[in-house]
Amino acid sequence: MTHDPLERLLGRTERDSGCEAAFEQFDRYCDAVLSGRDAAREFPEITTHIANCAACREDTEGLLAALRQLEGDSEK
Amino acid sequence: MATAQLDQESAAWVRDLESDAPGREAAIARLHALLLRVARAEAARRGTTIPERGRDEVDDLCHQAASDAVLAVLRKLAEFRGEARFTTWACKFAMFEISTRLRRHAWREYRIEDDERIWDTLPDTMPHALATLQRTETLEFLWRAIREQLTARQRQVFQAAVLDEVPIDVLADRLGSTRGAIYKVLHDARRTLRLAMVRAGQELP
Repeated sequence: MTHDPLERLLGRTERDSGCEAAFEQFDRYCDAVLSGRDAAREFPEITTHIANCAACREDTEGLLAALRQLEGDSEK
Repeated sequence: MATAQLDQESAAWVRDLESDAPGREAAIARLHALLLRVARAEAARRGTTIPERGRDEVDDLCHQAASDAVLAVLRKLAEFRGEARFTTWACKFAMFEISTRLRRHAWREYRIEDDERIWDTLPDTMPHALATLQRTETLEFLWRAIREQLTARQRQVFQAAVLDEVPIDVLADRLGSTRGAIYKVLHDARRTLRLAMVRAGQELP
């Protein structure tokens, strides 16, 4: 998430997948993040979308947090 | 679309959830329990953004979200290609369901501001998102561009989503639209404003 106020207002200029395409790939994106791969490089349009769309960013953060919690619980 | 080789755990989930699987009911119950955990974890994570008076209803929302997510997973099971782990794929439906419900719950008393006169003059007190802009010239330019170059719909969505920070799924609900369609309006509005800034020689991030 950017701290540049103008970028927060106007969004990033890179190609943006939009909400529906992002949702289709959220699982692959999250697995890439959790396995330590470079998700921003693998999914550039999703990365831009998450930066531009507060709702999808919140959902991605939530999904990653939940998956980490599940992984942690299963390792106990 | 090509099907990836399923990992052992994902393959077991898919096998157990198929319509003629002998242990299907037990697998559905396990799936529901998993998705309910995800919904509750997300509700707990967002605890501070849920108004106190609405917290009693939150667990009901978690149950509704888990049940709807189970139905979505079963409906789309044949589309699962194994490109992610099954649990990640299934949990994203639970996240979508609980997230949408929690946002609508938190914003349930919100009414869309529909007074176009607010754009007539630069107000003394700026919305938070604009108040963070230090450059007065940029601020004045943007305010004028919002008023003069956006359509009424784009102004309405930009104001709500960016200036008032209303979640786009809440907006979609109020405006009888979809999250994707509202995001497209926002995306186009931002592009118009960026283009206006470039043409005027304003500095962009």
